[in-house]
Amino acid sequence: MMLMVQDLRVTFPLDGKTGLRAVDGVSFDLAPGTSLGIVGETGAGKTTIARALLGLHPPGCIQGSIRLDGRELVGLSEEAWRAIRWRRIALVPQSVGTALDPVYRVGDQIAEPLRYHLGLSPAEAWGRSLELARRVGLEPRHLRAYPHQLSGGEKQRALLAMALSCAPDVLVLDEPTSGQDMLSRARLLDLLDALRREGGMGLLVISHDLAAVARLTERVAVLYAGQLVEVGPTAEVFQDPRHPYTWGLLHAYPDMSTARDLRGIRGAPPDPANPPPGCRFHPRCTQAIDRCRREEPPLREIGGRWIACHLGGLQTLLRAEGLRKTFSVDGGEPEERVEAVREATLDIREGEVVALVGETGSGKTTLGQMLVGLLPPDGGRVVLEGRELTAARGKERRAMMSRIQLIPQDPFDAVSPRLTVAEMVREPLDIQGIGTPEEREAKVRQALRTVGLPASPDFLARRAHELSGGQLQRVVLARALVLEPKLIVADEPVSMLDPSEQARVINLLKEIQTERGLALLLISHDLALVRKIADRILVMHRGQIVEEGPGNRIVTRPEHEHTRMLLEAAPRLG
Amino acid sequence: MPGTFSPLEGERLSGNFHMRPLNGELGFGLILLALCSAVAVLAPVLAPYDPRAFSGQPLERPSRAHPLGTNDVGQDILSELIYGARVSLTVALAAGAGTVLLGLLVGGMAGYAGGWLDQALMRLVDGMLSLPRLPLLILFATFLGSGLPQTIAVISFLFWPTTARVVRAQVQSVRQRGYVRMARQFGASHLYVFLRHILPAIGPLIAYGLVTSAGQAVAMEAGLAFLGLGDPLVKSWGLMMRFALNLPGLFLTDRWLWWLLPPALCVTLLILALALMGIGLEQNLNPRLARR
Repeated sequence: MMLMVQDLRVTFPLDGKTGLRAVDGVSFDLAPGTSLGIVGETGAGKTTIARALLGLHPPGCIQGSIRLDGRELVGLSEEAWRAIRWRRIALVPQSVGTALDPVYRVGDQIAEPLRYHLGLSPAEAWGRSLELARRVGLEPRHLRAYPHQLSGGEKQRALLAMALSCAPDVLVLDEPTSGQDMLSRARLLDLLDALRREGGMGLLVISHDLAAVARLTERVAVLYAGQLVEVGPTAEVFQDPRHPYTWGLLHAYPDMSTARDLRGIRGAPPDPANPPPGCRFHPRCTQAIDRCRREEPPLREIGGRWIACHLGGLQTLLRAEGLRKTFSVDGGEPEERVEAVREATLDIREGEVVALVGETGSGKTTLGQMLVGLLPPDGGRVVLEGRELTAARGKERRAMMSRIQLIPQDPFDAVSPRLTVAEMVREPLDIQGIGTPEEREAKVRQALRTVGLPASPDFLARRAHELSGGQLQRVVLARALVLEPKLIVADEPVSMLDPSEQARVINLLKEIQTERGLALLLISHDLALVRKIADRILVMHRGQIVEEGPGNRIVTRPEHEHTRMLLEAAPRLG
Repeated sequence: MPGTFSPLEGERLSGNFHMRPLNGELGFGLILLALCSAVAVLAPVLAPYDPRAFSGQPLERPSRAHPLGTNDVGQDILSELIYGARVSLTVALAAGAGTVLLGLLVGGMAGYAGGWLDQALMRLVDGMLSLPRLPLLILFATFLGSGLPQTIAVISFLFWPTTARVVRAQVQSVRQRGYVRMARQFGASHLYVFLRHILPAIGPLIAYGLVTSAGQAVAMEAGLAFLGLGDPLVKSWGLMMRFALNLPGLFLTDRWLWWLLPPALCVTLLILALALMGIGLEQNLNPRLARR
């Protein structure tokens, strides 16, 4: 094992007494010839780790252990560090503009460590510089230039050449791609990838550029507020993120292969000087439980992945297994039975947007109604948060029903013509017996405001026939929200609205979904619509789920014949 | 255009409507019924005599003292008529309510629960409906004895199946409505769903059922009393007619004009009032009827 970091803590003194702990108990290791990525939002402590590995922090800030081939580096003198920097561990810093000295020629700056660390003569050093420059794709004329005469990409290459000059065992790249245009970024990634393949060197890539990390590393560690929350093979972590934060981070990342609109993680990263107690991610986490607020979760191995989560990572919110439903045509013979849903199995995870698409009569609505407990299935079961919904009765059923809500297709059918808006929206609270009458009123008003409706006495007293379709669908949405559900099943929620109102309601639904961190199952026949918001798409055909996958994959590379047909039928302008 | 259709069309056709202005039939029926009720309530004030008191000579002709004369034992006919309204209205109300309650219970259960319970209850209804009513009515009245409560019970028992059938059909249709099923989605119990959503939705139907059953009950009570199967101590309009007809040679003089005709007219008017209200309510239930 070449580089071993254990329980690394970096604390910057703030005002004498208190300190700002930028990195808090991070452990990882890096073997020769392997690569590790460290990803996280700005301020997570990525650069602090990079600087700690090069001994660039003032002594006393650092606790824990950094071992290189068994030798402890923490607490070394500046003298001893000098022998390690460049020769054993080299850094390509983030701020390209300031890393080069403007009064020396670039070639001289590349040659300098060669002369200083390896004791080469000026001529030998210049020769090696030329060789290094070629390796990173610079021409001899670039070496004779001054830094201000080079472009950002060229400077980055020069710095890379400098870092490579002493053939270090560990190369640390701090945001290697930041501030570069897409073409020079692509060329740089090719170069780094080639370097990695040459082997021998341990590569540590610190970046918020997930695509770069995906390209350059074998393993990845996800850093949040100075702590690692998930560590695992890069491809697996990016394909199937397990920690809620990793999941959110990946969904916030713009990606050419995704048609979905960008989604941020709700809330903001914590103030490092004053991190929240318990799990640091809990204020932004959609599945946080009481324990998350009190106890800090340790990083532990769960199914080949290291995850810091009390719940073992993202939870399956709703699981349907082998659901079946057959309708008999009234008075018909057994062969006239319609198999609306055949052996449907699906998972919905916390905070996920899943779209169920299929043509009319494919069994989407029937499946949706079985998922929310409106229709008893003929076979199979629905498990909500680990408890079987299909078997629940009485009080247990009532409690489970408040966790999952349905937005039906036809808002006019979904509300009683005899009730006022206030009564409609309050009904779930009345049924569940939540709060005092005043609290219920307040919740009703708040829910109406959330969906962009007035909470005026006049509006509260209106009845269904005095509202437009869009308003009524918002009322239905408000009614679904008053119970603060974990999952909303929306069955063609906008199909009866005009196009501009459709867009508004879908955006609203999406906004609420992100803000409240609830999961959404969107049932629709409209692939063009769902691809905008769905993380995952399930395609249903004749009562069966025929294809399932990430939204971008389904839209760009459909596998099932029927998916292709649906895609071709999707509306296009021009 | 989506979103611009009338949301109420479906509701009205499924018998589930918003109160509309009174129509002519309903209004006229209500006035008649109100008149009848006022007479019944104010009977002690309006009646010149105690109807049981022998206030005059037998078989007096109409006079200032006895506007409708007296009967064969010297009781004031006008007072009898006024107090008779109380009996007829009591029967109308009680038997109507009894019929509707039984029908609502059976029809509501069958329509809401569905399945084998629905099948069983509806076969029972079919059986009841296939029985001849009048002979059965006479049979029951004979066996149960003649008293007002018995009369009410018998009428209720014989007439609920019609109501049950209508209620069941309506409940079945309302039960499928989105908002009723959504209430279950919020975790509501069946009882809540029935009381909060189904009952209000079929409310107009219940009103209609009550009015028509009440009309039938008035006719049945008069019929039973006329046949001598009613309570001989409670002088209803039917019983008055029976006593009048018992007088040999009633039609030989013009006596029938003030003894037989007034109770007959009263029964007719009350039934007419209830029937008109029924027609009016039905038009509200089904707007297609009103357009004819």
